[in-house]
Amino acid sequence: MNQSDSGHSAARSWVIAVEGLTKVFRMGSTEVHALRGVDMQIAAGEFVALMGSSGSGKSTLLHLLGCLDTPTAGTYRLEGRDVSALSHDERAAVRNRRIGFVFQSFQLLSRLDALENVALPLLYCRRSGNARERAAEALARVGLADRMHHRPAELSGGEQQRVAIARALVNNPAIVLADEPTGNLDSQTGTEVMQLLAELHADGRTILTVTHDVQIAGYAQRTLYIQDGRLLNGRRNDDAV
Amino acid sequence: MTLFDTLFTALRGVTANKLRAALTTLGIVIGVASVIVMLALGNGTRAAVEANFRFLGSNKVQISARQTLDDGELVPAGKILSYEDGLLMPAEVELVDRVEMWVQGMGKVRYGRAVLDMNITGATVDALLALASAARLQPAGWPEGEPLTPDAFLSQGRFFTPSEVLEGANVCVLGSETAQDLFAGDDPIGETIRVDRQHCLVIGVLAEMEMVDPEERQRSKPNELLLMPVSTVVRTLYEEEPSISVTAHVSDESRMAEAKSQIADYLRGRHSIEKNADGEYEDDFVTTTRQDILGAQQESARIFALFLAAMAAVSLVVGGIGIMNVMLVSVTERTQEIGIRLAVGARRQDVVSQFLFESVLLSAGGGVLGIAVGILLIPLVATFNQGNALLDPGSIPLAFGVALLTGILFGLYPAAHASRLHPIEALRYE
Repeated sequence: MNQSDSGHSAARSWVIAVEGLTKVFRMGSTEVHALRGVDMQIAAGEFVALMGSSGSGKSTLLHLLGCLDTPTAGTYRLEGRDVSALSHDERAAVRNRRIGFVFQSFQLLSRLDALENVALPLLYCRRSGNARERAAEALARVGLADRMHHRPAELSGGEQQRVAIARALVNNPAIVLADEPTGNLDSQTGTEVMQLLAELHADGRTILTVTHDVQIAGYAQRTLYIQDGRLLNGRRNDDAV
Repeated sequence: MTLFDTLFTALRGVTANKLRAALTTLGIVIGVASVIVMLALGNGTRAAVEANFRFLGSNKVQISARQTLDDGELVPAGKILSYEDGLLMPAEVELVDRVEMWVQGMGKVRYGRAVLDMNITGATVDALLALASAARLQPAGWPEGEPLTPDAFLSQGRFFTPSEVLEGANVCVLGSETAQDLFAGDDPIGETIRVDRQHCLVIGVLAEMEMVDPEERQRSKPNELLLMPVSTVVRTLYEEEPSISVTAHVSDESRMAEAKSQIADYLRGRHSIEKNADGEYEDDFVTTTRQDILGAQQESARIFALFLAAMAAVSLVVGGIGIMNVMLVSVTERTQEIGIRLAVGARRQDVVSQFLFESVLLSAGGGVLGIAVGILLIPLVATFNQGNALLDPGSIPLAFGVALLTGILFGLYPAAHASRLHPIEALRYE
C-alpha cells in the first residue's frame, strides 16, 4: 500500500494529534521531566515505529497515548477528541473501545483460555452481545482458529503474542499500540509477529510500535526518535531505502 | 459488565484456589452454625415452656404457700394455704368465679389382704383435668389434638360430685393398676377399702392412662393412683392440716393484675399479714399467672439472645477478618491481572464488583455450609438442654443475611484497594 504523502496534508484526519505534551513525575522534592513538549501526528492507516534508548521517555509517551496516564501539560486529540483531561472512567472507556494494546510480556490471564482472553475487552463494553463470535473472528484473523480453548501456558510465545494481538483488535480500535511486541520472542517468531502486524496494516489498521530494534522499525513506514523527552526529526523509512 | 459476567468472573476467582476458599469460610461457618443452634435452643426452650404450662389458662391464677428452706427441708414461710382459704375465695374475692384445689399425700391402702403404700391425690372435680394436663397424662391411645373431657378419664363408675367434695365424703376413684392390685379383676365399684384408718367407698375406676410424650412412658406409673375429694384427704391423711394448691378462675381476663391483688388482699386478711417497717407485705403465699411465666421466660430469652448475639458477633467478625485477609492477599497476587483488566477498559467499579462478589461468594458459601452444619448439630445440642432444641425457620434467612452482610462489609476494603491500583504500576508488578 503506497501512502507516500501521509501525514503532510492539512485535509488529512489525524488519528493521533499531540501538541506540547509534557509529563513531569514528582519523586519527593525532585522533578523528573519525562516528556518535554512532544508534538506529533499519526494519520489513519499509518504504521509508525517509535525508537529511543531506555529512559528517553518512549514508554511514558506510549502510556499517555494509550490513556493509561494523563499528561502534565499539552493536548492529546484521539480521532479529533481531546482526551488529555478525561476522568478515570472515561479513560477506561477510551482504552476499551478506541485503543488496542500489545505488550512485550503478552499480559494474558493465565486462568482463561485464548478465546476468553480475546473476549476480555468485550466484557467491559456494553455492546458485547456476540462476544464469543467476535473473539473467535479475531483469533481466526491472527491464525489461531484451532487454538481457541488453549490456555496461555499451553501456547508458544509467538502464539501468546498473537492472542494478545487478537485481543487488541477485538473491539476494532482506532489504533493499535504495541510496546516492544517482539522483545520476549526469538528472532524467527519475532519476524512472524511483525509480519502479522504488517498484514494488519495492509488491512488498513493504524499501528504504533515502540522498539529499540532497527530491523523491527524497518517494518514501519515511518520512524520517530525520542531522546531526553523530545522527538527528533522523523524519518520516512521508504525515503531512506 | 453484566451481573452474570461479574458473578462468573468472581466464581472463577474463588474456585481457582478451593482449599484456601474452604479454610477462609471456616469462621463464617462456625458463626452461622452457632446462630442456627442458639436460636434453635431458645426456640426449643420456649416451645417446652409453653407445652408445660398449657394447663395454666390465661384466666387462671395459681396460688400456693410460700416455702423456705429450713435446715435442708422445705417448710411453709408463714401460715399454710388452707382448704378453707381456697373454699371461701369465690365468695370473698370479687373477680374470682370458682377455684380448683388439690393436695398430694401418702397413705396406706388396704382391701382384704392387699396392702399398698401409695400416693393419694385429693382434688376438686374440675381440678382433675388440670392435674392430668400438668402431669402430661392422657387416656391411653387418645388421638392427638382431641379435646379431653373428664369422662374420657373414666372406665367404670363416676367421679365424686361437688357436694361430696364440700362435705368431705369418704369416696374414692382408683387408677386402673391400683384397682387391679387391690381387687385382682373383681368389680371394685361399691366395695369399701381402707385408706389409713378411714373407710372409703370406691365409686369409679380410671381409664388406663399414659404420658403424652412417648419418650416419658417408660419412666412413670401413671396408673398407680387414688383420687379422693380434697377435703377428705386434708381431714383424713394428716395430723396437721396441710397446704393445698389453688387455681382461681378469674371472671374477667382483662383484669388479671387486679384479680391478683384482690386475692392477695383476701389472703393477707385471713393470714393477718401487716405491712412491715419498710411498708411492704411479707406474704406467705405465691400467686402466678401465665403472664408471669411467659414474662420470666421472655426475660431469660432476652439474656439468651444477648449471649447469642455476642457469640455470633465474635465468630462473624473473626470470619470476616479472615475473608478480608485472604482477599487482600488475593488482590496482591493478582495485581497484574487487575492491570490487564484496567488496560483493556475495566472501570473502577468493575474491579470493585469483581472482588466484592468474590468475598460475598466466600461468605455466602460459608453461610450455606454453616446453616447445614447448624441444622445437623441441633439434635446433638438438644441432649444438653433436656431435649429442647427446635429449628427456628426464621433463623435460616437471618443467618444467611448476616453471612452476606459480613462478606460485603469485609470485602469492601480489599475491593476498593484493588480498584485504586494504577494501571501502569499494576501491569509492571511481577
